[in-house]
Amino acid sequence: MAVWHLFVANLKMIARDKQALFWALVFPLIFVVVFGLFRLDQPSSAKLTVVDQSQDRVSLALVEGLKGAGVLEIDQSRDLASAREDLAKGQISFVLVIPPGMAQTVAGGATVREPVSLVLLYDQAHVMTIRVQSIVRGVVDRANLLLADAPSFLALTGEPVQARQIRYFDFLLPGFVGMGVMIYAVVGMATILASYRQEKILKRVLATPLSVGKFFVGLVLAHVVLALVQAGIILGAGVLLFHGHVYGNLFWVAVLVMLGNIVFLSLGFIVGSFAESSQAANGIGNAVTMPMMFFSGVFFSSDSLPAVMRVVVKYLPLTPLLEALRGVALDAKPLWDFPTQIAILLAWVAVTAVVAVRVFRFS
Amino acid sequence: MTRMDNVIEVNGLVKSFGTFRAVDGISFEVQRGEVFGILGPNGAGKTTALECVEGLQQPTSGTASVLGMDTQREVRRVKERIGVQLQASGYFDYLTLTEILELFGRFYPRRLAPGELLAKVGLQEKARSTVGKLSGGQKQRFSIAATLVNDPEVVFLDEPTTGLDPQARRNLWELVEQVHAEGRTVVLTTHYMEEAEVLCQRVAVMDRGVIVALDSPLNLVRRLPSPYRIRLQSRSPLPMEGLRALPTVREVARGGDGTYLLQAGDAASTVSALVEWARAHEVSFEQLEVKPATLDEVFLALTGRQLRD
Ligand SMILES: Nc1ncnc2c1ncn2[C@@H]1O[C@H](COP(=O)(O)OP(=O)(O)OP(=O)(O)O)[C@@H](O)[C@H]1O
Ligand SMILES: [Mg+2]
Repeated sequence: MAVWHLFVANLKMIARDKQALFWALVFPLIFVVVFGLFRLDQPSSAKLTVVDQSQDRVSLALVEGLKGAGVLEIDQSRDLASAREDLAKGQISFVLVIPPGMAQTVAGGATVREPVSLVLLYDQAHVMTIRVQSIVRGVVDRANLLLADAPSFLALTGEPVQARQIRYFDFLLPGFVGMGVMIYAVVGMATILASYRQEKILKRVLATPLSVGKFFVGLVLAHVVLALVQAGIILGAGVLLFHGHVYGNLFWVAVLVMLGNIVFLSLGFIVGSFAESSQAANGIGNAVTMPMMFFSGVFFSSDSLPAVMRVVVKYLPLTPLLEALRGVALDAKPLWDFPTQIAILLAWVAVTAVVAVRVFRFS
Repeated sequence: MTRMDNVIEVNGLVKSFGTFRAVDGISFEVQRGEVFGILGPNGAGKTTALECVEGLQQPTSGTASVLGMDTQREVRRVKERIGVQLQASGYFDYLTLTEILELFGRFYPRRLAPGELLAKVGLQEKARSTVGKLSGGQKQRFSIAATLVNDPEVVFLDEPTTGLDPQARRNLWELVEQVHAEGRTVVLTTHYMEEAEVLCQRVAVMDRGVIVALDSPLNLVRRLPSPYRIRLQSRSPLPMEGLRALPTVREVARGGDGTYLLQAGDAASTVSALVEWARAHEVSFEQLEVKPATLDEVFLALTGRQLRD
């Protein structure tokens, strides 16, 4: 009963605290708006996956030609089925299939009537589709010329594939959700705890028969609700106002948001226990969240960090949260596809909870 | 008085922080319906002692019980039946007075309605205001309302009037009297002798962690070697030796404006001797004022130091 009343009272307090609302809701929304307005997802290069089933002189020459054309980043794959699968998932956008026995066919010369058919599978919706098509066509045409007597020896056919369209903005959205949840939970909880201690509110509550546990359950529950509202607003604004996409199950997204929120709330709790004042708590909270905001992959995948840093960053709580959030939201995977990430997050919950209980003080 | 009438019993209470003994073995009892004061300078250990009794701090040794319950072993049941005002504690910033009282009430099995509580302390008009918008005196009154939220039998007030102007202080004294008149036992701490004299039936004078005296304000004063202050004013200078030779007079001091302050062991005999002496020496005086000494002087006599510096 008391917990319920505390929960409601805490929701009211959050709703009336303009500064808290700014950091919780407006701050992440600013990112959504800024990145939604600028068309940042116009890449200057595209990745082309070549499935070379010939692996001979001719096919290799063709691949070299593609490499020399610029713009394209060539990636080799042996397995057509898996390349198609990746394409459908939106992980890659272009696949060029070179059929087997190119060299023999060319050696056969003019006796061959039927042109060899190269197939370009492409993601219809990708912004670079037209460009990639024309580059590949250009390379194939030149190859035809070099093969002299048979001008239309190689034929290129295109095959559009209905792929998921994951734009950079879509990639950013779960990043903003993670960032928003992290910053408010850490900084908000730290400042609340420090000011409750500073103003002796904690001690005043301790003077009543209420158990401390119930007091904090009420506080945490209200913040978990805030985190869900935060995630809803960020994703809602991104999808409705800026045509972002979320492909996955929102329930799993919510579960991850809550799990991440618990980790960050207990981090904030620890910060708030150490900080002497609420101003100090605010500063330390920002110092704790800032590195994660930049390195854990809010704006770019942390795969692109130097190897040494990647090892460290991998275990920061925001990294697994964002990996799992993106997997669930963008690749529509179920939560259990991310056992490592969830294990890291649960480990953080356990460790921070133990530390939080040990460092907590009333006055 | 039987022991049954003791609402609070404290025995050999010690509270150490490291090697420093903030409370160094104090014992006292508070009787039902009493206003009991703990008086002492900054750092005397008043708050620490009070918080050990309230179950907020663990004593290093010794025991405290409230309403027959040990404040360590039955801390929850104790807290259900007492009301605690902490020295300068805040309340939630973003809740209205009504909402705070409503919320705190939910922490107790038994509670009073917020409207009733605010009416008691004269803050009905501020029901929808937040604590941040209250004046210093209003804040203290609200904090007393919050203390009464569970209709407690025993109320602890830690320096309820510190930092208030004289008007607000008097206002709060009336409120404490009212709380007392409702049949509640009140324990309060203060720096102000006057406050203890006005409000308390009995006062424990605390200094450096120990109780140096415990009695009614009147008895504490009476136990002084010279408990009376006689002030007189004269146009012509008076011989100091003559005044000093009066019966029971211990000290004579001369102030500005021809005033003389005598410290006397007895009021009646000194005053009549003074009048005789004046007639015999043909001196006259305009004003004659007789007052008991204050608790400030009690403190000075007990510790050799001023209560406040
Ligand atoms: N948690 C603590 N750790 C260390 N020392 C403490 C602690 N709490 C109190 N003290 C010390 O114990 C002594 C008594 O403090 P206490 O607060 O009980 O005094 P007080 O009589 O209430 O003073 P005041 O009138 O200023 O409120 C002080 O010297 C204080 O510094
Ligand atoms: Mg104190």
